[in-house]
Amino acid sequence: MNVRALVAAAVAVAVTALVPAQAAVAAAPRRVPINGAGSTWSSNAIDNWRRNVLQRQLYVNFQPTGSTDGRNQFRNATVDFGVSEIPYGLRDAFGGVDTAPPRKFAYMPIVAGGTAFMYNLKIAGRQVTNLRLSGDVVASIFTGAIKRWNDPKIKDDNPGLALPNRRIVPVVRQDGSGTSAQFTLWMSKQYPSIWNAYCAKFGKKAPCGITSAYPFRSSDGFVGQQGSTGVTGYVQQANAEGAITYVEYSYAIGARFPVVKVRNAADYYVEPTAQNVAVALTKARINTNQGSREYLTQILDDVYRFTDPRVYPLSSYSYMIVPTETGRGINTDKGFTLGEFANYFLCEGQQQADVLGYSPLPKNLVEAGFAQVSKIPGAVKHGGSLSQCNNPTFSSDGSNTLAKTAPQPSPCDKRGSKQTSAGTAGAKVETPVLAAARCTGSGGGGSQGNTPQNGATVGPSASASAGPGGGATGGGGSGDGELIGAVPVDLTGRPGWGLQQTAMLIAGLVVLGLVLVPPLLAQRWRSRGGRR
Amino acid sequence: MVLLEDSRATVTPSTPDGPDDEPRAVVTRLPTSDRVFRGVARVAGSAVLGIMLLVGLFLSVQAWPAVRKAGWGFLTTQDWDTEGNHFGVAGVLVGTILIALVAITIALPLAIGTALYISEYAPRRIAPLLVNLVDLMAAVPSVVYGIWGFFLLQPHLLVVGNQGEGLPRWLTTYFGWIPLLSVDEYQPRDPEASASRLTSSTFIAGIVVAMMVTPIIASVMREVFAQAPPGEREGAYALGATKWGMIRSVVLPFGRGGMIGATMLGLGRALGETIGVVLIISIGFVIQPHILQNGGGSISALIASRYQESTAIGVAALMGAGLVLFAMTLVVNLLAGVIISRSRSGASSEA
Repeated sequence: MNVRALVAAAVAVAVTALVPAQAAVAAAPRRVPINGAGSTWSSNAIDNWRRNVLQRQLYVNFQPTGSTDGRNQFRNATVDFGVSEIPYGLRDAFGGVDTAPPRKFAYMPIVAGGTAFMYNLKIAGRQVTNLRLSGDVVASIFTGAIKRWNDPKIKDDNPGLALPNRRIVPVVRQDGSGTSAQFTLWMSKQYPSIWNAYCAKFGKKAPCGITSAYPFRSSDGFVGQQGSTGVTGYVQQANAEGAITYVEYSYAIGARFPVVKVRNAADYYVEPTAQNVAVALTKARINTNQGSREYLTQILDDVYRFTDPRVYPLSSYSYMIVPTETGRGINTDKGFTLGEFANYFLCEGQQQADVLGYSPLPKNLVEAGFAQVSKIPGAVKHGGSLSQCNNPTFSSDGSNTLAKTAPQPSPCDKRGSKQTSAGTAGAKVETPVLAAARCTGSGGGGSQGNTPQNGATVGPSASASAGPGGGATGGGGSGDGELIGAVPVDLTGRPGWGLQQTAMLIAGLVVLGLVLVPPLLAQRWRSRGGRR
Repeated sequence: MVLLEDSRATVTPSTPDGPDDEPRAVVTRLPTSDRVFRGVARVAGSAVLGIMLLVGLFLSVQAWPAVRKAGWGFLTTQDWDTEGNHFGVAGVLVGTILIALVAITIALPLAIGTALYISEYAPRRIAPLLVNLVDLMAAVPSVVYGIWGFFLLQPHLLVVGNQGEGLPRWLTTYFGWIPLLSVDEYQPRDPEASASRLTSSTFIAGIVVAMMVTPIIASVMREVFAQAPPGEREGAYALGATKWGMIRSVVLPFGRGGMIGATMLGLGRALGETIGVVLIISIGFVIQPHILQNGGGSISALIASRYQESTAIGVAALMGAGLVLFAMTLVVNLLAGVIISRSRSGASSEA
């Protein structure tokens, strides 16, 4: 009895010491492991936060199984929180309406980011890192209307690239996904005719709208994969040359792959960097009706049409769905832990957003987020002042510093006849640009010294090249350095030793060993036995 | 008189008017331990049966709304649009069977070789080690095989580089005239052909599944081969047979039924294999008979990728797909059970 009382007292002291603000509460809440599931779009950020709070004895399990699964599991109360790109109750053209859970809940923005288009494309054996596309071209690619990389429309966007006659392989999510939802929402709002025409192939009537389950047919050259890691993993393989997929920017950085610079309403091609996303989302219409169930959710129409030259049009916020009442697996201990976790990532956690490939939340949403946290049963209101968060968007006058200080895009990124050679996302290597389109303006990167004179020339790669040698134009970059054809192409028969050869050698040795070793061994044993 | 009476008594052993002969009622009194054991075994046996029935019943009840809506079209429709009421398992059903067949085609020779080697050829000392290794192979979780397939087998061994060098390309280049091995919209000799056409295919998924079913088939076959009677084996040797001759004339005929049964057990597992397939394949709902071509699918992969379906009809349709798979696997396993039990007698060697 005494011992138990002692232990209880010690625990109480320890807990109160850890949470000074809560010292007055009678039964001190405990930190318990909590479970969550949902979006793979924001899972890179959540995973990072989750690891960071381990040192505070906060155990947060998060399964990145897709937004649809996150909403479902939260509805069925199999997890304590869900993470989703879109709220409940949207009419999905292919999946139907998903009903809101019976328990009380609230949406809380956790991080911003851009849905990026990661691609695997090579010209003359060299990875392309500076591809630019207009929105309608992106929509046409993912609806199968543009099938080849040398399509005139893609050439219009990329005056500096001699694009190969290679098949485009759109890689899409085959599970229920919030990334698909954000992407199809953008298509349905901006390019309804292209999207509706595609939907019609699947027997859907004209206003097709948003869907989490991207429709596709393998016979059209589409590939479906599971989860953001699945599509990223597929695109980054060497055999997926010509593939393009849609994922959050952070996945492309992690895979060391480039992303498409998408043309915005100001006719600039921009990359989904933290600044560009922050600029874009200053136009996001946030539901500010506190009584509404969709409080804090986003309407992105104005983001798509925002005419600031720095805007990345496919920017959006990701949301955590948190319970606001006990019962159905939620008690004050879990609420307390979830609140601690939320207080961490709404404040300090936002500092890492930029590095990871996301964009930090602005001040108004962080404040609204803290207000949502206080609705979680058992959660403690954030103690410190907001200035301690070191959030790069915060400023004294309430404006978004990150958006304010975002650099203007280079004039080479404007739609026209010039194209920058600078790389994007996880592949910062420069891509040589055709002489005619070479950008000598500021910000285009050092395009004089290290880029070859002719865009078609290959590095000293060992691969045999087809066609009558290199580029047909022998010009030293003078006048119209127009490339006439004859794009060198990698052929089979890469010399050297690869894993394939190693595997064959090992297989051969194993077969040889299986044939030779047992008889020899047996003979040896037998003779030894005989001698005895 | 006394004698007479005596002889009469001895001559007529039974009298017609006497009581009928009755067999003595044998009362076997089982010891308590036996009775307990019998009870436990009975309960366990019927519990398995009951659970199977309940699973079937549950699936049927849950699938009923979807099956009623789709009717027989559920088995023939090549689409999966639960919102638009146009869904069926035709495509994935064919895909399931194709994946299982590819897997069995690869696993069977491998398993026969393994089992024969372990039971007949391997030196006594290393045989137990090999048995353990095979069992270990069966213990590897299928998600590991799936990741192995996705990150190593597919990009580094089967479809390598932007030209997609590897076995599938070779097969479709030289045997593309066989409809099964052709690939639409892919010219192997075009240097700009998209190697993606050869990825995420039924063939690659089948290889991954083959890795999972091989140990099961091999261990059942090993048991069967070990049961070949020693008398006949020595008889064959006495008649001058070589080792291979003995195996062909004694071991294989004795084990024939067991081999078929083992194969069908493997087939049952191959039909239901989920996560290894879902990581590899790009699911399509149209019947796609080209095994080397991108796209395909299996019922279990469909369920795994769509289980988050939020609408009632979507879930019901998945339950229906599960019911089809359940029935198919049940039939295959029942057949396997029948064949294995018949092979125990060694009847197949009589012929």
